[in-house]
Amino acid sequence: MIYFSIAAASFTSFGNVANVLEQSAILGVLSFGMTIVMISGGSNVITGGIDLSLANNLGLCAAVYASLLQSGQPDAVAVFLTFFTGLSVGLLNTIAVVGLGILPLIATLSVMNICAGFELVLTQNTVIPATSPFLAALADNGPLGISYLAYIFVVLAFIFIVGVEFTPFGLRLYAVGAYREAARAAGLYVDWYIAVSYVLSGACAAVGAILSVSLLNGSSTGSGAMLLSVVVSTLLGVVFSRRFIPTITGTFLSVLFIGFLINGFQLTNVSSYWVNGVEGVLILFVVAATSLLRRVES
Amino acid sequence: MVTEFSSSAGSDTAPRRSRVSSLLRYTVVLALIAVFVFLSVQAPGFLTPSNLLNIVVNNFALLALVSLGMTLVVSTGGIDLSVGTSIDIGSLVFVSLISSHHQLLVALLGGVSGALAVGVFNAFLVAALGITPFLATLGTLFIGESVQQLATNGGQPIYLITGTFPAGFTFIGRGDLIGIPFPIYIVAVSIVGFFLLAHHTQFGRQVVALGARAGVAWYSGVRIRRISALVYILSAIICGVAGIILSSTVKAYVPLSGNAYLLDAIGATFIGTTLHPLSRPSVAGTALGVLLLSIVTNGLLLIGWNFYWQQVARGILIFAVLAVSFRGRPVHA
Repeated sequence: MIYFSIAAASFTSFGNVANVLEQSAILGVLSFGMTIVMISGGSNVITGGIDLSLANNLGLCAAVYASLLQSGQPDAVAVFLTFFTGLSVGLLNTIAVVGLGILPLIATLSVMNICAGFELVLTQNTVIPATSPFLAALADNGPLGISYLAYIFVVLAFIFIVGVEFTPFGLRLYAVGAYREAARAAGLYVDWYIAVSYVLSGACAAVGAILSVSLLNGSSTGSGAMLLSVVVSTLLGVVFSRRFIPTITGTFLSVLFIGFLINGFQLTNVSSYWVNGVEGVLILFVVAATSLLRRVES
Repeated sequence: MVTEFSSSAGSDTAPRRSRVSSLLRYTVVLALIAVFVFLSVQAPGFLTPSNLLNIVVNNFALLALVSLGMTLVVSTGGIDLSVGTSIDIGSLVFVSLISSHHQLLVALLGGVSGALAVGVFNAFLVAALGITPFLATLGTLFIGESVQQLATNGGQPIYLITGTFPAGFTFIGRGDLIGIPFPIYIVAVSIVGFFLLAHHTQFGRQVVALGARAGVAWYSGVRIRRISALVYILSAIICGVAGIILSSTVKAYVPLSGNAYLLDAIGATFIGTTLHPLSRPSVAGTALGVLLLSIVTNGLLLIGWNFYWQQVARGILIFAVLAVSFRGRPVHA
């Protein structure tokens, strides 16, 4: 980061920071959903909570939104049905994980396939352009020359931080994830909290979809590729918390960190081929350092 | 009637298993039979020897190889997200050596060592540095993407020009031994080999011990670091073999093409776990999972549905299989 601010004069400029915020908004909102699922599901990689359907859910929601707008539906209807889609996918995950007891990893994997399929059916694997007054307003610049997308991102981050880290609800969410039996013994209706986390995650996909349609002026193919970035930013966020647990603040910081990293590469004209590799090395470095730190502490 | 206990600690669902739920364990087998019968009736040309062979060669073989490695890794309680990287690096080295007119044996060894390098890197991260497998292999996956983009100028495929192949090159992907394509032999040998390794050796028992309770395994004298290192190396090697077969079938190296196998391999491995009473991965279960996925892919193609609807149908079918087979089994903590 320091290197970038020296190497690229515009890196720390106000406009560039706002730009990074806008570019990170979609990834950020999705990562919030993933964070909540990981909090309520526990940290075990294989049996713990994870929502692999997030990125494709976003793709499906964006396809629904864009095609509704294109068929002349008003914004209100389109937004409503987009949320309906996102929440339905969340509900399907809930049924699979809570109702049927399928491991989250494979439950959401198969839901991911279903979402990807429906998205292809809707879009025929093409880009559906969409414009509407609402979308134009979203992409428009608000006060201080920052687009409303960036504002929405920051406001959502604030809401989620408060909701998950400073309320009884959030505390119980952590309790359910950390020790399910203890939470159950303490009288929490465990299933309900897990259900809420998957449905919230579906809602995040719907919000992300609307942001992405507004940013790209339509639905786009290949949204599923975002999945790994979502997982990375959520897991990387863990190192920003003192007790190495997923937090919304940590996720927010790591999303911005990745956003600035990519942005810095662009500004210093480093080939984009390096971005993934550096991101990978960075993850490994950070995680190795923290696991070493943990070993030293214990 | 087997009585068993939930594998998860402190679960309140001790022995409770009815005849129905022990039948449900075989959902995968039943689904496989049902899909097979349905497609034989509905899909024109499904039940012909040439198509069945086609399924095994084109749909089953590569996914099966990748899933075998994944099965071992998941058995230790880990996961390998970098299988695509191993496939691609194996394929990249192999094709580069072939196109620069090296001997076939050199190219083969090169391809396998390329994949081996990926495996050693994973093993180093997981076993030596103690990074959680999910993150370690995710990091490898990202680094692998950059390496390939840098090596191929942003993702240009390397095509091999026909007529310049060394002797035996085409044999790997399309060769024929007494009427059966060569890749089938490799897959058959690998399945048997992995089956023996996983279920009939000390190594296999140690793998299971590591997956069940790493701490207990360590106290019982299992060298857990060595076991988990070996598992990632084996997974990478078999992916490298898959990469070599892939590139000799399509006569090219296409960057980042290996990732297509990742989610299917995870899916097949976990579909396979539904066969096991304690929902552990097994070689036989994985093989059935791969078979189910490959038959569905092939059959839906033959029915002639819209390609996009095939995706939906595939997803819903897998969802249904999982839904039925997870009913009445102990809930995971």
